[in-house]
Amino acid sequence: MKSKAAMIHGLNQEWSVEEIDIQAPKKNEVIVHWRAAGMCHSDEHLVTGDMVPPQEYWEFMGLKDFFPMIGGHEGAGVVVEVGPDVTDLAVGDHVSASFVPSCGRCRYCSTGRQNLCDLGSQTFIGGMITDGTHRHFQKNGEPVTLMAKLGTFSEYACVATNSLIKIDKDIPLEAAALVSCGVATGWGSATARAQTKPGDTVVVVGVGGIGMNAVQGAKMAGAKRIIAIDPVEFKREKAMEFGATHTFSSMAEALPAVMEMTWGQLADRVIMTPGVLHGEMMGEGMSLAGKGSTVVVTAISPMTSTTASINLFELAMWQKEVKGTIFGSLNPRADIPALLDMYRSGTLKLDELITKRYPLDQINEGYRAMRDGENIRGVIVNG
Amino acid sequence: MKTQAAILWEVGAPWSVEEIDLDPPGPGEVLVKLAASGMCHSDEHLVTGDLPFALPMIGGHEGAGVVMEVGVGVSWLAPGDHVVFGFIPSCGRCPSCSRGHQNLCDLGAKMGGGRQITDGTARHHARGQDLSLMCILGTFAHHTVVNEASCIKIDNDIPLDRACLTGCGVVTGWGSSVYAAEVAPGDTVAVVGVGGIGANALQGAKLAGAKRIIAIDPVEFKREKAMELGATHTASSMTEAVELIGQITWGQMANKVIMTMGVGSGELIGQAMALAGKRGRVVVTNLHPALESSVTMSGLDLTLYEKQLVGSLFGSGNPRADIPKLLNLYRDGLLDLDGLITRRYPLEGVNDGYQDMRDGKNIRGVLVYD
Repeated sequence: MKSKAAMIHGLNQEWSVEEIDIQAPKKNEVIVHWRAAGMCHSDEHLVTGDMVPPQEYWEFMGLKDFFPMIGGHEGAGVVVEVGPDVTDLAVGDHVSASFVPSCGRCRYCSTGRQNLCDLGSQTFIGGMITDGTHRHFQKNGEPVTLMAKLGTFSEYACVATNSLIKIDKDIPLEAAALVSCGVATGWGSATARAQTKPGDTVVVVGVGGIGMNAVQGAKMAGAKRIIAIDPVEFKREKAMEFGATHTFSSMAEALPAVMEMTWGQLADRVIMTPGVLHGEMMGEGMSLAGKGSTVVVTAISPMTSTTASINLFELAMWQKEVKGTIFGSLNPRADIPALLDMYRSGTLKLDELITKRYPLDQINEGYRAMRDGENIRGVIVNG
Repeated sequence: MKTQAAILWEVGAPWSVEEIDLDPPGPGEVLVKLAASGMCHSDEHLVTGDLPFALPMIGGHEGAGVVMEVGVGVSWLAPGDHVVFGFIPSCGRCPSCSRGHQNLCDLGAKMGGGRQITDGTARHHARGQDLSLMCILGTFAHHTVVNEASCIKIDNDIPLDRACLTGCGVVTGWGSSVYAAEVAPGDTVAVVGVGGIGANALQGAKLAGAKRIIAIDPVEFKREKAMELGATHTASSMTEAVELIGQITWGQMANKVIMTMGVGSGELIGQAMALAGKRGRVVVTNLHPALESSVTMSGLDLTLYEKQLVGSLFGSGNPRADIPKLLNLYRDGLLDLDGLITRRYPLEGVNDGYQDMRDGKNIRGVLVYD
């Protein structure tokens, strides 16, 4: 079948919306009509190269070329065709994307860590996670890969059932699209990973599509003070609506204030969710954290960077811990439906996250707005 | 095809070994040639009626064998694969499976009926009737057809007569200590009842670093066996143990108490709680009669000493992670499976095996097929 898709052909290029050809789904695959796609910073990381493996790794990864790639890994849509032997999804089912697949069989899936499913290692290589072959082709007949094997910046895509979560039909697909990555990642960073407890002081560094939901998660977990840090005034204002109690424009500005409001005890949890996390920001982040505190690293750092400015004397003597997280350490198959049910019952804000909607053709305008700090989350909507 | 199976036709009857008709595997199902089956106390619970499952039923839920044929839609098993059956299926998709509690998989709801998970019908028939399967497995048979959700693929070098024990008893006992009780280095642990489950609770407690492990069983042979599996002390009853544990802990009592008797009794929970000290945790792993609805215990101790009473199914383990993990521990010499097997029987010897179990002669009897 034919579909319009936004792809990038190389580093620092604009998104190019082109017609592609999609082959029929094979075993354990379905065709999804993506109805809504969140414009996450991680797709921008493909453009800037922060999330692109260095060219010398490509051969080792079994890749001839990393590009072109169809973007988009936050999305929700409707199943329009199922491959042979697919038993857990049917035509007409509403599905959320899950940027980490979950096979339900590997050691990690079997111990409540679906976010670390062994199939995750396949999401950066070419072809389908089912059998490694391609279903998506450019006009010139060359194959095109899909971001996270989802490619939600396409009207249609062929996706493995391991990467899809069935959701109830009364949930708006825009809401589901947001939960599928950013909301779950931010919310889980504050709850499951940071283990925010009632009465805690929590600092969230960077309040975009991820950080805003870390603020929501910290609030739901009963934090007493939630300090949102962002250089953009619009985002700081928005953070107050999502549950922040204080805002600052930089970590340097926040430090004396956090020290004062906690009587010198500093924060119990610090959650790092800036657009790009550079190693030299870690020292500042950790200086906001008190004795016995937890610092959660959620943001993407440049893939090849290997240093961070951390005072290891303080780490030991103040018994601090630094913890990484992917997908907020949640389990997609349990937690995407659980978060959508919180939205349904009014305890999780999703509609307020969407700043602006764009048709697929205006994707470059949407990313410009993100870079300029105009959006919490832009959403691509396909009719 | 025709095969042999041990069927329970009514409560209180002996197992009847006879020829049955076995249909080919349906969608999502596999035909397995069984190599061995453990003789667990839970199957005896079918005979006594403590487990009120639908009869007639083919017994057995601790099985291992080789896949012979796969139905349509089976995506991750192939003929020739060696498998252990998880006594509870794990779909890998439901909320419990997704959060690391595969032992509580929603498909477990299908176990009481004992019919195929996919469509609720039977593949096993005898005397013109459909047969249910214990735990939807029916391992007291030379062949069976089960859903792939019940199969855990294992490495081919593991002997199947030992591997089968990890489908139920070994993980249940080991996990009761490691996962449910959360035994920590230096703990004092009491294990009440040293059969196929308790023997592995001892092994789990030892590997987790317990300082003192008190095995409690009225049968002398089992107490001797317990010392080989990691116990540091034994007692013949909880009454005897309460004095012993008081002495060896300077009155602090046990950190963890694990209940692994043949069948539990609500009247004994108070005694078990008395073995536990402040913040002590009592884990109930053994089955209690289905209709029992009361326990005798001190509620005041529960509050003032912050004692905990917790239940555990399959040792709170995950079949797909823990069966391979424990088989690797066996391979590395950190888990004794060989020493668990007291006697081997052919399928026709199933009633002899259960008599030996009732007489306290076996830690585990195993049916071994050709």
